[in-house]
Amino acid sequence: MTAFIAKRLLTLFATLAVVSMLAFMIPYLSGDPVRNILRARSPDPVLDPAAIAALTEQLGLDRPIYQQYWEWLALALRGDFGLSFTARTPVDEMFLSGLGVSLSLSLGAMLVALLIGLPMGIVAATRPTGVIDNVTTFITQTLVALPEYWVGPLLVLVFTIHLGWLPSAGWDDWSSMILPTLVLAMRPTAYFAQVARAAMFEVLRSPHMVAARARGLSAWQAIARHGLKNAMLPIMTLFSLWLTGLLGGSVIVEVIFAVPGMGWLLFESVLNNDVPLLQGALVCIVALTVGINTLSDIVTALLNPAIKMPGKGA
Amino acid sequence: MTATDISILPDAPISRHRSLLMRYTGLNWMIRYGLTALFLLLALLIATPWIAPYDPDAQDLLNKLQYPNAAHWLGTDQYGRDVLSRVLHGGLFSVSIAGITLVLCTAIGTAVGAISARQGGLIDETLMRLVDLKISFPDIVVAMFLIAALGSGQGTLIIALTAIGWTPFARMMRNLTLEVGTKEYIEAAEALGCSQRFIILRHILPNAIGPIAAMAFLRFGHMLIAIGGLSFIGLGVQPPASDWGAMLSEARNYMDAMPWLAIAPGLAIFITALCVTLVGRGLQAGSNATNA
Repeated sequence: MTAFIAKRLLTLFATLAVVSMLAFMIPYLSGDPVRNILRARSPDPVLDPAAIAALTEQLGLDRPIYQQYWEWLALALRGDFGLSFTARTPVDEMFLSGLGVSLSLSLGAMLVALLIGLPMGIVAATRPTGVIDNVTTFITQTLVALPEYWVGPLLVLVFTIHLGWLPSAGWDDWSSMILPTLVLAMRPTAYFAQVARAAMFEVLRSPHMVAARARGLSAWQAIARHGLKNAMLPIMTLFSLWLTGLLGGSVIVEVIFAVPGMGWLLFESVLNNDVPLLQGALVCIVALTVGINTLSDIVTALLNPAIKMPGKGA
Repeated sequence: MTATDISILPDAPISRHRSLLMRYTGLNWMIRYGLTALFLLLALLIATPWIAPYDPDAQDLLNKLQYPNAAHWLGTDQYGRDVLSRVLHGGLFSVSIAGITLVLCTAIGTAVGAISARQGGLIDETLMRLVDLKISFPDIVVAMFLIAALGSGQGTLIIALTAIGWTPFARMMRNLTLEVGTKEYIEAAEALGCSQRFIILRHILPNAIGPIAAMAFLRFGHMLIAIGGLSFIGLGVQPPASDWGAMLSEARNYMDAMPWLAIAPGLAIFITALCVTLVGRGLQAGSNATNA
C-alpha cells in the first residue's frame, strides 16, 4: 500500500513538473513574447524598438532560459503568476474567485446528476431489457448526444425570453445558477445512470444478494442494505473523474451563461493571448485535476484492499 | 496457465468479419435504427454539392430572416442565405473533420496500445505514462492550450482533437492485446517464428476489432460535439468556412425573433451524435454478449 501511494505521489509530481514546463513555454510557442505583450497592451501595430528593448530587459528575457524557468517556478509555487496582461490584476486573485464559482457550479451539477442518474440506473438494472431499461438507455443516449451549446440557448429562449422566469447570464443569485447547473448536469447524469446500471447489474447477480434474498429480504430491502454499498465503488471513481472534468472543463457552459469561473478565465486568456492568465489557469486546473484524482485513487484503494493495483497484471 | 483456464468454447472465428457484423446488426434495435439513420445522413451529406438548393454563401438581403417557406425550406438567415443549404454544407464540414480526427485517433491509439502491450518493458512504461499524463488534463483544456499555441483553424482543430482523442483507444487496445496475448494461438504463432507485426495484424487486431469499432462510434459523437463547441465559442472553424457550431453561434443573436436559425444546426448535431452513439452502444452491448 505504501508503495502504491508513493508511486501515485511520484506520478503526481512528475505530471506537475511537465505541466509547469509546458506552461512556462507558452509565451515562446506563439512567437516573440515581448512583441505579444506590447501588442496586447496597445492596438498600435507598429511597435517602438525602444519599448521592445526595455521590456526585454525588464522581463529578464536576455538571461538563459533555465534560469528564467527556475525563477518563474519559484514564484509559481507561491501562487504568484504575475499580472494578467489585459485585466492588470494578479492572476492568483482572479483564479481564486474563478475557482469558487466553478466549484459551486460543478458540485451543483454533480448533485443534480447523482440525484437523477443513480435512481435511473438502479431501477433500470432491476429489470434488464425491460421497458424501463430501454427508456433509460434512450434517455441517457439522448443526454450524451445533446450539445450544451444548443440546449443552453434553447433554455434561455424558453425560460428567459418567453417566460421571463430566470436570468439568461451571470452568476449573482440562485436563480442565475439554475440554467448553467442543469445544462452542465446533462452529460454526467447520463454517465452516472449508465455506470449505476452496470454496477447494480453485477451486484444483483452476486452470491451475497442471492443469500440476502434467501434469508427472506425483499428485492428492494436487499438492494438498499447490501446492493448499494457494493455498487458505490465504481460510482465514486466516476464522481471524482467527473468533478475534475467539470472544474476546468465547463468552458462552454461558462461562456454561454457568462459565468465567471475557471473555464471562462481560460477562454478569455486564449482569446486575448493573455499569457500569465493562461499559464496560471493551465497549472492550477491540472494541479486540481491530478490532486483530486490521486486522492480518490488512494481512498478507493484504501477502501477496497481487493482492488487490483495498476502495474500488477493487466 | 492451468488446464481449467482453457475455454471450452472456441474463440469467435476471425476470418468471418462479415458474418460477425451481420450477427451484431441482428442483435438489437440500437444498431438497426442507428445505422439506418446514419447511412441516410451520410448519403445526404455526400450528395450535398448536388442537392443543396442554393449556394451556402450566396447573400440575398431582400429575402433575409424569412420563416421556413416553399422556396427556403428552413428559412433564411440574417444575410438572406438559405439555411438548408448552410446546414448541409456545414454538416459536410463538421462530419468530415470529426471523421478525419477519428481515423487518426483510432490508428494512433490502436498502434500505440498494441505495440505497448506486445513490447512491454520500458516502451510500455513510457507510452502508458504518456497516456496517464494526457488523462490528467481536461480535454477542452488540452484543446485550448493547443489552439493558443498554434492559432485557430481547421488544421489546429484536427491536431487538437487527435491529441485529445487517441488515449482511450490506446488504453483499450493495450488491454485487449494483453487479453488476446494469453491465448494458445498466439503462443503457437510465436513458436512458429511469426513476426510481432504479423501477430498484431493477423491475430490481435481481428479479435479486437469489435470493441474498437464500438468505441470509435461512441467517440464520433464526442468529436462532433467538441468540434461544434469549439466553433461555437469562436476557437474552431474560422470564417468564411462555417460548421454547425459556428452557425449556432451566429444564430444566438437572433434567438428571440428567429429561433429556427438555432434549431436547425443544433438538431443536426444532436441527430448525428445520437445515431453514432446508438450504434456504438449497440456494438458495445453486442461485443459484451459475444465475449460473455
